[in-house]
Amino acid sequence: MKIDKKLDKILKRVEKPARYIGGEVNSVVKDPTEVSVRMGFCFPDTYEIGMSYTGMQVLYNVLNKNPQIACERAFAPAPDMEELMRQEGMELFTLETFTPLRQMDVVGFTLQYEMSFTNILNMLDLAGLEVRREEREETDPVIVAGGPCAFNPEPLADFIDMFLVGDGEELLEQVLLLKQEASSKAEYLAKCGKLDGVYVPSFYDVSYNEDGTVRAYEKLVPDAPDRVRRAVLQDLDKAEFPTANIVPFIDAVHDRSVVETFRGCTRGCRFCQAGMIYRPVRERKKDTILDIAMKQLKNTGHEELSLLSLSTSDHSEFEDMATELMGLCKAQNVALSLPSLRLDSFSFKVLDEIQGYRKSGLTFAPEAGTQRLRDIINKNITEDDIYSAVEQAIELGWETIKLYFMDGLPGETFEDLDGIADIAKKIRDINYDIRGRKGGRFRITVSVSNFVPKPHTPFQWAPQDRPESFIKKHDHLREKLRMKGVTFNYHETKTSTLEAIIARGDRKVGSLIEKAWRMGCKFDAWTEYHAPELWEKAMEETGVTAEFYAYRERSYEEILPWEIIDPLIDRRFLERENEKAKQAMVTPDCRQGCAGCGMNKHVKCFYGVEEGRFPVNTGKEAAHE
Amino acid sequence: MSKYVIEFSKTGTICYTSHLDVMRMFKRAFKRAGIALSYSQGFNPHPKMGFAQPLSLGYEAEEEFIEFETPDDREPAELLEALRITMPEGIDLKKCERQRKERKTLSSMTCAAIYEAVIPLHGKKCDVDGQIGSYLAQDRIVTLKKQKKKKELKEVDIKPMIRQITGAVADDELVLEMLMDQGSTSNLSPELILSTFMTFAGIDTDRSEVRVKRKKILFTEDPFQ
Repeated sequence: MKIDKKLDKILKRVEKPARYIGGEVNSVVKDPTEVSVRMGFCFPDTYEIGMSYTGMQVLYNVLNKNPQIACERAFAPAPDMEELMRQEGMELFTLETFTPLRQMDVVGFTLQYEMSFTNILNMLDLAGLEVRREEREETDPVIVAGGPCAFNPEPLADFIDMFLVGDGEELLEQVLLLKQEASSKAEYLAKCGKLDGVYVPSFYDVSYNEDGTVRAYEKLVPDAPDRVRRAVLQDLDKAEFPTANIVPFIDAVHDRSVVETFRGCTRGCRFCQAGMIYRPVRERKKDTILDIAMKQLKNTGHEELSLLSLSTSDHSEFEDMATELMGLCKAQNVALSLPSLRLDSFSFKVLDEIQGYRKSGLTFAPEAGTQRLRDIINKNITEDDIYSAVEQAIELGWETIKLYFMDGLPGETFEDLDGIADIAKKIRDINYDIRGRKGGRFRITVSVSNFVPKPHTPFQWAPQDRPESFIKKHDHLREKLRMKGVTFNYHETKTSTLEAIIARGDRKVGSLIEKAWRMGCKFDAWTEYHAPELWEKAMEETGVTAEFYAYRERSYEEILPWEIIDPLIDRRFLERENEKAKQAMVTPDCRQGCAGCGMNKHVKCFYGVEEGRFPVNTGKEAAHE
Repeated sequence: MSKYVIEFSKTGTICYTSHLDVMRMFKRAFKRAGIALSYSQGFNPHPKMGFAQPLSLGYEAEEEFIEFETPDDREPAELLEALRITMPEGIDLKKCERQRKERKTLSSMTCAAIYEAVIPLHGKKCDVDGQIGSYLAQDRIVTLKKQKKKKELKEVDIKPMIRQITGAVADDELVLEMLMDQGSTSNLSPELILSTFMTFAGIDTDRSEVRVKRKKILFTEDPFQ
């Protein structure tokens, strides 16, 4: 690919210029005159992060398989690159053809985390586009966005023309193909708006009560849906999955072959948004997974293979799959990585075999320090589970144990924090018992992250802890965890507050994001670039308060801004779960009986799971509600 | 077990990949092509594969060399074909030959290299031969060089490592051809010649406008033998 002198000159002056040249093995370059629609797929963070994201590879593959569509990529340029581009008057371009993004028919952003939102505005601006949808021209590309954060699209509703909510493999392709059938933007949005999963913000007007809560959503277009149903892919096994992933030139955060084994999770942790919005569980068959994995390794030359799901060992054919994969990887000199395993004896056998004498750390996520609090959040793991696993791990030679917890959970007291220290201490003692008084090079890392309540979860009504409270809790934990061999990490409090504001924001939060960006905020997920003082100033100027969006407990009567999206799980289920949490009552895993979330009124649960492996829900179980 | 050497060029935008990137790229290309590499023994086994001389980020190259060992015995032409179809644009594989098993590594045989730098002059006049003549006539050519371990700048005299410089001006561009020591015994970076020469000759073209290409690597023995 030839590039012009201006870009060539810039590339000589920036760090890691290979981020901006495309041309990687398996990237797809199409002749623009031979396709009917071109999409610029944007990841609002740097290349190394974006290229680690499997979802982009999935959609890139689906779209480029279609001869009518060209899907090209763009990432947020690092600050040194951005500065030179602005200086030289160069617009943001796609890596496939170096075409300015502005010349694409559709530009799409993936919404993976709230702290990337300022980068979206920045990328639009770098592309020479107005950030507000109302100010863009008819000839400008249609700006779409999808991904987990699209489940509350409202904070970005002023900037994005159309949101795609739910599984994207089929929906995005359908939406792009409709482009050629529409002669204007309005007509295009109207056509797309008829599909499940498409939310067009300009179809609704939102009015607010005096206290700032939502009064009503008024439809400006008569046939706009009352609520936008998320798109659901029923048969994951038959869905397209890439077998020739793009192989980056430079070191990406994750640069390996990946196969998604199943979507959804049956555990029902009450804080977990992924566990709610990706329901129901749909599996890819073991043989399909093995086949994809072997093709990917052949086509990429990767030296590592990983499996992707919310809980690896919950796949109904996990043991056979892991055993076969181990054999295949060993024969090809490929490292196998199995994240989020349930630590039973089978997993230990597997881990011991694949890690050999080079053991990485073992990670446990009890999330809360006492059984009472774990019951509140419905994290069904007991201390005995942890201790017996730790015992096995130490005996097999692991020397690093990582523990993940959250603080600021609903119903949390200082006793629960003490519980975190007790767990660390008990693990240290187990090591002393096994390896003797000195305990070897054994290390325990305790990481605590601040709880951020998320939309469409049982805790969506919950107040977030105030920064003073988080700081007090961190101080308390730091004292309690002052132990030899124990390291304590915790998250930046101000970032957590901001995340909570945006996560549960309404359309008014859009002005805060724009203001902050105009003041210079970008790369907010990067500690070195995040500027909390600018955000505070932007909050003052726009009147968006943490009091209202983060610290406030919402009532069941309130219309929540994200309820314009129907996640297909019943609101009553979320309320019931929230009430059970208040009484520390657990809800068992879906595999032990239907929890009645209402999903099975829309699609079949446990799709793709072989008869008899798990109780397959028929829908009758939901009758008890 | 068999040893091979491949000659290739690196041109176009792919010049913005680093030496380590290209190593990884080849490692993966071998895997895709179904060519197994031999691995070293020991605690940290690594594939037996190596380059003659690392190439700086941003440089193009006409004649680079990579050597590797495989447990299989295959025809060089067949290996070349299998690899060719899986290389990214800009890396062109030219030829592949079998190597003697006992031969030294390419990097230990590397002794010098020829680089070409194209410097836009923006209308500035330049008496090339005169400037090169007086540049090389200096007793010492002293500049600062970053030390590998300490990362501190240290004064070095680069003159003994420069073997030859020739130049010509065409289309308002100065083309310098520089032959210098490279390899494990004595190694000079062309950047140091470039910066000292440009200062000496009063050329203030920004470094980002200069295009550099490695034209040839010189060995103490024939790499294809």
